Amino acid sequence: MSLFLEQLINGIALGSLYALFGLGFGLVFSTLGILNAAHGCYASWAAIAAFYFAQWFQLPFVAAVAVGIGAGGLLALLVDRIAFQPLRDRGHEMLGALITSIAFWIILDNLAGLATGQQSLTFPRGTYPNHLFRIGDIPVSAMQLITIVSMIVVTVGLHLLIARSRFGSAMRAVGWNPNAAALSGVDPARTMVVIAFLAGATSGFAGVLGGVMTANVSYSLGESLMLKGFAAVVVGGYNDVRGTALAGVALGILEVMTSQYLSSGLRDGITYALLLGFLLLRPRGLFGSAGYSRA
Amino acid sequence: MQVLLDFWAAYRSTVAFAIVNAFFALSTYAVLGAGILSFATVAFAAIGGFLGAQIALSLGLGVFWLVPVTALAGLASGYLVAAIFLRLDSHWMALASLALILITRVVVINLPSVTGGVNGMSVPSSVTLWMLVLMLALIALVFYQINNSWYGIAATAVREDPAVASTLGISPRKIQMIAFCISGAVGSVGGMLLAMVLKFVSPDTYFIHLAFTMIAAVVLGGSYHWAGAIIGAAVFTALPIAAQAVIPQFEHVANGIVLLLIMIFMPRGLIDPRAIRLRRQARASRGTLS
Repeated sequence: MSLFLEQLINGIALGSLYALFGLGFGLVFSTLGILNAAHGCYASWAAIAAFYFAQWFQLPFVAAVAVGIGAGGLLALLVDRIAFQPLRDRGHEMLGALITSIAFWIILDNLAGLATGQQSLTFPRGTYPNHLFRIGDIPVSAMQLITIVSMIVVTVGLHLLIARSRFGSAMRAVGWNPNAAALSGVDPARTMVVIAFLAGATSGFAGVLGGVMTANVSYSLGESLMLKGFAAVVVGGYNDVRGTALAGVALGILEVMTSQYLSSGLRDGITYALLLGFLLLRPRGLFGSAGYSRA
Repeated sequence: MQVLLDFWAAYRSTVAFAIVNAFFALSTYAVLGAGILSFATVAFAAIGGFLGAQIALSLGLGVFWLVPVTALAGLASGYLVAAIFLRLDSHWMALASLALILITRVVVINLPSVTGGVNGMSVPSSVTLWMLVLMLALIALVFYQINNSWYGIAATAVREDPAVASTLGISPRKIQMIAFCISGAVGSVGGMLLAMVLKFVSPDTYFIHLAFTMIAAVVLGGSYHWAGAIIGAAVFTALPIAAQAVIPQFEHVANGIVLLLIMIFMPRGLIDPRAIRLRRQARASRGTLS
């Protein structure tokens, strides 16, 4: 029983990473309609930036995380301005933005490989909190706790922002139709800049936490987060952040339990089978609203 | 002449990969030409690759026997994928085909007796560059014929406007079914050729990277003409090799930058039938005026 509970905590922590990354990925997908192949690179680069800043300047953990979040956001902003903005003016559809995002994925992935010397780096001990708490007799590491709490805070924050705030209404309006939004006094360009930054920052946050937790800072960090985060977004319903959060956690638990009790070879298989199953049978996901479509 | 021979000797493997990639690009183009964004080519390639490798290992058949076998297997899987996926909207279709690639990799890893599992398997191969050149010429001829056939015109109509196409008596679903079958056959043969050229296949041979680079190559070359796919694949394969001399270490970054520039400044790709037509018309009208 205690093994089960221990693995449950591991699953929730892993799933929180997927969810946190997926929140950023889903934000861009649902409001800007972009399938962004470069999104994983934001997480990799956020982790790389946090790593080097922590090493060079002996930054405390909180500051290193902040650097990573800022790096992810700025990178997303840069990609949005260079790769997506020129296409928007021409009114292109999904394919064009997908191709330019692939271009950036190629560029950023290779540069990330060079930045880490084609290896996977690990945050040195002492640069991150590594206490081990005990709840009953179940060990919970500080990083796991931080990840879970961060994910919950970000989810609640994003949900309130999108569903309750004035800016959230502007975001949804721009996602629905930028021209109509402009007519009612929303500045679409400014809104898109903020969305891009928020998405990059959220995924960058996941990148830094993931880089510490999985002891892997390299280009492959972003790739694995990207595939699982993508699954979380689709399964949860891509226009609802709560769905992404719950689906991410559920996928994390499923993965850990599958490799513990079934077979580690099937670990990814279950996630991807769920992904395909949802796409075919319930494309709007667990929480997605029916009849939602992009123009 | 000597220069040409030297070039040939130094870059034979680049030419071989460019030809193999042209098959993947044509497979992607086959569905894109009927208005579908699909990454399923990679799954077809995996089927062709592992099937071809197994047959070559157990029966010792040469490449020319493997082509029809893998093409048929690819055609069947293309039909199957189309039957399941075609009821999805375009966005979801693209996502579902991505999921298909992810699942393909899991299946490949969990079937070690057929695919060699995580470690992959080496493939006995006797494929020569001339065979590849011949096959590229053949497939180009096939696409040339398809382009000028009733199906080719109907596919263009479906791509431009499915509603108009159906009022003309064209069933978009049927056209897209055929597109998937063509894509499956060509992609599967490409996968087999890749296995033969590499002499090795592993789960990572057929994964997301292949999907992304192939769709990028097609759009770079120009997704409105079959020749665009071949040109795009050639550019995408040769560019890093060329860039290596100028900016070593950053050679792959060059691919990304060129792709970005082309998409922003020439969004219809390098080969654009519409631009060629317009240019021809302009020249003709100048001729009549003078």
